[in-house]
Amino acid sequence: MKLKDFAIAAASLLAFFSLWEAWYWLVVKNPMFLAPPSKVFKTFFDLLTGNYGPFFMPLDVLYSLFHYAVGFSVAVVVGFSIGLVTGLFKLADRLSYPIIELVRPIPPIAWIPLAIIMLGLTHQAAGFIIFIGGVFPVLLNTRHGVASIEVKYLEAAMTLGATRRLTLIRRVVIPAALPSIMTGIRVGSGVAWMCVVAAELFGVAPYGLGYQIEIAKLYFLLDVIIAYMLAIGILGFALDVLYRAIEGKVLAWRAGLVVS
Amino acid sequence: MRVRGLKKVFEGSPPVVALDGVDLDVFEGELLCIVGPSGCGKTTLLRILAGLEGATEGEALMRGRPIEGPGPDRVMVFQDYVLFPWRTVLGNVLFGLELKGVPRRRAVEEAMKYIKLVGLEGFERAYPHELSTGMRQRAALARALACNPDVLLMDEPLSALDAQTRSYMQEELVRIWEETKKTIVLVTHSVEEAVYLGDRIAVLTARPAKVKSIVEVNLERPRNRFAPEFLSLQMKVLDMLREEVIKALSMYKPRSS
Repeated sequence: MKLKDFAIAAASLLAFFSLWEAWYWLVVKNPMFLAPPSKVFKTFFDLLTGNYGPFFMPLDVLYSLFHYAVGFSVAVVVGFSIGLVTGLFKLADRLSYPIIELVRPIPPIAWIPLAIIMLGLTHQAAGFIIFIGGVFPVLLNTRHGVASIEVKYLEAAMTLGATRRLTLIRRVVIPAALPSIMTGIRVGSGVAWMCVVAAELFGVAPYGLGYQIEIAKLYFLLDVIIAYMLAIGILGFALDVLYRAIEGKVLAWRAGLVVS
Repeated sequence: MRVRGLKKVFEGSPPVVALDGVDLDVFEGELLCIVGPSGCGKTTLLRILAGLEGATEGEALMRGRPIEGPGPDRVMVFQDYVLFPWRTVLGNVLFGLELKGVPRRRAVEEAMKYIKLVGLEGFERAYPHELSTGMRQRAALARALACNPDVLLMDEPLSALDAQTRSYMQEELVRIWEETKKTIVLVTHSVEEAVYLGDRIAVLTARPAKVKSIVEVNLERPRNRFAPEFLSLQMKVLDMLREEVIKALSMYKPRSS
């Protein structure tokens, strides 16, 4: 079954790249407008090994992961904290609701000018854009998980001696809400990673996957642009796989409760 | 434990008077069963004893002190067990011990002792969803016992089990009670169960509930469910209960005149 799934995935990708290749040679036929996958793969390899002008992709990967880590770790801490407090306390929820719902629809790229003015062309500025993208899914899912905890678990814990509020939060509320929190982290990570490109567009560092797309655009290097796009896709996928693995480990107790 | 003139009104329209004038004593080391027509407030009484619910009037005392909140001296075993699904059997049993700050190694030893006592050895690493209903019941019992409470409050603990498992668990419960010498207050809707388990049986009236009668069960253990004394006692309690059930049912009928 595993092998069959793998074969189907491979066939799907192969068909995708074949169509793309054919599209280029039959319709586009111009390297100023598109690059065929055959070219992109070669460029990808050259970028990885540092054989394509000044480009060196491994360093870009490191820079982008660094920006992602800076922004998203803060997003997890802040999103979790606010989500916990608003999930626990009605008043905090009512107070924060209008603010959250006002700020949430503002797309992360709209924050770029403010980020540059407030934080300058720094890693923090890039991190900030990524933070904006990642924080809301974490916050909302945490709040939902905490607010919808079943009272019976709290009562059971209380009769077993968990009488202090902090004990209940630490030993009952958070573990019970963990499935929701993990979902928030996984969704938030996806959004945060998408923001990496936007965050690097304005040149906070000489490296970065998003930054190089911007540079390659100046020279109409479509093969480079697409190769970096692919790299972003692959890394985003890898991050998701990583979070799913962590989720599977942390939420082992749920196995059998949900079909996933 | 001592309960005097306990009244409980649930606000609402109309307000529901669940308990009115309940007087009850629970003696050290006894197994007290509480039976009553369904919906009469048995569970409410137990929740007040557990400290999960406050009384509207009257007093509930534990060793002379008013019960003001839940505490590990009176652990409740819920009807649907409420094991923590994110913890293994061992983790669930450890819960109360962790809260008491028992050092890890001793806590695990202690927890394993109770896991063995309830017959769940070998399943300590299993998660609740991997257990059968009867095993979950045992795990919940072990978790409660590990807190070393003075009183165990059990809310229809066996009602979710099938008939065979149920009578087996009744025997197990008696064995565990005899081994641990705990005071147990057990709410049940089964008169047979009450007569099989209890030292005394408190029969509650229809809502608003008060104690209609206390029946002493002076039968040797292990009890024989088919002995004439057993059956006649069961009949006696059933008769008391029947009057109350009829009363309870008539409350739902529209008055014709």
